[in-house]
Amino acid sequence: MSISVQNLVKKYGSLTVVHGVSFDVEKGEFLSLLGPSGCGKTTSLRCIAGLEESNGGVIKIDDKIVSAPTQGIMTPPHERQIGMVFQSYAIWPHMTVGQNVGFPLTIRKMPKAQVQKEVDEALEIVNMRALKDRHPSQLSGGQQQRVALARAIVGKPKVLLFDEPLSNLDAKLRESTRSEIRRLQRELDVAAVYVTHDQEEALSMSDRVIVMNLGHIMQEGSPRDLYRKPANRFVGDFVGRASFIDVKRDGEVWTTEDGTRLNVAGAKLAQASGGRHQAMLRPEAIELIEASVAPAGTSTDPEVNLIPGTIGEGHYLGAYTEYMVKAAGSHIKVHSLADLAPGAPVMMRFARLDTRLVAVPE
Amino acid sequence: MTDTITAGTDQLGTPGQRRTAPDRVLQAVYYATFIIILLLVTIPIAALVFGSFRTAPPGAVGEWTIQNYLNLFSGGVLSSMVTTLWIGLLSSVLCIIIGTTIALIVHRTDFKYGKLITAFVGLAFYFPSFILAMAWIIIGAPGGVINAVLRDVLGITGIASDIYTAAGIVFVMVLHQVPFVYLTMRGPIIGMDGIYEEAARTSGAKPFAVLYRVTLPLLGYSLLSSFILTFIITIEQFAIPALIGIPGHVHMLATQLYLLVRFTPADYGLAASIGLMLSVITGIAIWAQRRVTKTGRLTTITGKAGRAALIPLGKWKWPAYVVCFGFVILGLLLPMVILVYTSLLKWFTANPMNGMYTTRNYVFIWESASTLSAFWNTLIVSGVGAIFGVLLGLFASYFTLRLKPTGYRFLDFIVTLPFGVPGIVMGLGLLWAYAYLPIPLYGTLAVIIIAFVTRFLPYASETIGGQMVQIDKSLEEAAWVGGATRLQGVGRILLPIISPSVQGAYFLLFMAFFREISSAILLYTGATSVVSISIWAFFEQANWGLASSLSVIATLIIFIAMSLILWLMPAARKS
Repeated sequence: MSISVQNLVKKYGSLTVVHGVSFDVEKGEFLSLLGPSGCGKTTSLRCIAGLEESNGGVIKIDDKIVSAPTQGIMTPPHERQIGMVFQSYAIWPHMTVGQNVGFPLTIRKMPKAQVQKEVDEALEIVNMRALKDRHPSQLSGGQQQRVALARAIVGKPKVLLFDEPLSNLDAKLRESTRSEIRRLQRELDVAAVYVTHDQEEALSMSDRVIVMNLGHIMQEGSPRDLYRKPANRFVGDFVGRASFIDVKRDGEVWTTEDGTRLNVAGAKLAQASGGRHQAMLRPEAIELIEASVAPAGTSTDPEVNLIPGTIGEGHYLGAYTEYMVKAAGSHIKVHSLADLAPGAPVMMRFARLDTRLVAVPE
Repeated sequence: MTDTITAGTDQLGTPGQRRTAPDRVLQAVYYATFIIILLLVTIPIAALVFGSFRTAPPGAVGEWTIQNYLNLFSGGVLSSMVTTLWIGLLSSVLCIIIGTTIALIVHRTDFKYGKLITAFVGLAFYFPSFILAMAWIIIGAPGGVINAVLRDVLGITGIASDIYTAAGIVFVMVLHQVPFVYLTMRGPIIGMDGIYEEAARTSGAKPFAVLYRVTLPLLGYSLLSSFILTFIITIEQFAIPALIGIPGHVHMLATQLYLLVRFTPADYGLAASIGLMLSVITGIAIWAQRRVTKTGRLTTITGKAGRAALIPLGKWKWPAYVVCFGFVILGLLLPMVILVYTSLLKWFTANPMNGMYTTRNYVFIWESASTLSAFWNTLIVSGVGAIFGVLLGLFASYFTLRLKPTGYRFLDFIVTLPFGVPGIVMGLGLLWAYAYLPIPLYGTLAVIIIAFVTRFLPYASETIGGQMVQIDKSLEEAAWVGGATRLQGVGRILLPIISPSVQGAYFLLFMAFFREISSAILLYTGATSVVSISIWAFFEQANWGLASSLSVIATLIIFIAMSLILWLMPAARKS
């Protein structure tokens, strides 16, 4: 196991910001910590890096304990063999690109010739070889980002840590850098922990995602599992877009407030966590059928839900139109290619497996 | 990398927090810094408090008393207090008006000689107050240049000038302080986003209406802050009220304190209580200034500062010339010319035609061992003393802003305390302290260096700290992650990046130490005289020629050192 975090606790004074978080990252695995600001994701990352001293739990890097407050162990960051990319890049303004990238090697007293060779290699990987003698002030944001990346990998670390590295880039550059980071990490075959508040980033890059909120892990799983089978309302809402309909259990079936019966999935998991319940619907999982061509009555197929509704507002977004559909006593977001006028009667058709039951903590 | 790093990670069960050797070095430096600063700052203040409750002078047997505080309400002290306050307020108001006007003319209008004025005002800022005061005494005293011209050249006898008045103090004080106001106001004026003025222009306001309705109100907090700082410097000022006020029997608190110590019947206890009262006044003013700057952080500086349109002066061109060049002439050029003239005369005469010219004053300086040793002392105090000051300021900033070890808030507090202690009060505190301390420091250069370093410590830590807070912490963190210890992170990353402000702080302290007189005046002895004190002594002996020639040399050294430092350390210019 490249990184192992067990029961990590971090307090600032009397305020606990990370409550006993545990996870592992394997060699070659890309793990994202996803959550809103203040959820403890950056703090957890900084504890792994050794930039923050944790108050409890054990952190191992490469099977060696680097942090265990109860045993009085706190390995300083410079002895942890890690590479890290900061949100602000942290490119040193008084050094050239080459000196920035070479720092982790020269500080460890590597012979000069070898430093040059390895710096060139690292810069080659990020396509920045030509700008080796530039000063940071002469670089664009995207180029600084590449220098930061080269500096993080030049020492061939066991572990790569990323603290929202793309949040200062513009949208286009962000997408290309995403795949670049992923390619690099695969080539180096190291464990990576990536902190972000951007769910799209987390879903597209990661092998595994951990969703955090208020210092707790909300859910841990593959991007597909998180999106399709959120463990609770928070994850469903934070990852992707969704509509939520209040439902309650009526014998063996689930019904909405106005009595519409819904075939749902994930009932066992949701019921285990208690509280109220809602059915979560992804806007792209719903098919809109004009009422005139829809089959009359309700479906008897237990794998399908068929519910009548009325088109409310519509926002044309180019690739599709986002409609708010009034149905089952609620407003439901639907993405559709069809052009429909407000007030038009429609039928909504969606699979039982796409109607995910989630618990809402009281 | 694997073979270049020793994976010194402790296995499970190793007891004790891991602390690397560099961490211990920092720890030791922290304790040393803390103790040195604590001693530097608290000893003179504590001694002053002690002295204010004693009946006898320092070192003599005495008793406890509160009489010194009761004596604060005697007529003499009360009237000095009133004089101090009104001279301080009037001077500050005039300084703000003139200094801001010059800054607006130079930076916001189509005035042609802005660069020239900026350079001259910069020189005037470093022109020592006691030299300026001396020059104006030569010009404006009853036996001075103005009266000679009135009587002998123009034949007017009805009116005569007398600089030895409260008005004279205010006049010279304003000339001395205007550059300070200019320098504090030009930043906000240049940095102000032009968009506010453009909005006013598009709303139909004429250029001067924009100035009164938008620009000046937006500068309000900066003006208030600059006003309070000017007030503090004015009531702390010693040389100007001493040289002008003492002969004219106009007493401010700082000069009264000096008289109580230097002339019989000496009353060290009352001097101490006056010093504490003066410190309390400046302390309150500083607190008010901090409040103003904290609440007044208007978002007028947006960073993308679009250059605002320059206001055409039009018919106001000549008044603008008069204000700008008038100040430069009265505050810098005329005093310099008079000093050079006086230094070349055998006996003083206001009429250059009757003068007997000589170079004997300069020859005397060259041949006088005591004057040469004063130069040597000044060089040591400024050159070496400033290094100590900068190091302490640097360490204090690093610990209070970065490492934040236990007790750093207290360190932060005591570092700023000397801001509230006027120079002469600092000198008196040390005078009291070294009578009781076991170390024989009195009469050494060390005590002068200690006084200067303590007095200007906040300037050093503010200059360096001001830049340090702006440096992203992740720059150092990136170094740690890359394999650097904390100490290496400081040496390789933090220090190189903040070196401009360290150079700037050195420049600031060097200049301040070179010109400083108020905190040395009570501490010097014959062997430890510095140039400023030598000039003072010559002038007190009514030897205008020697005082002038030494002033000319000192001023030249200041201006040469200034250009040399700016040339050697281009980075110092920014602060």
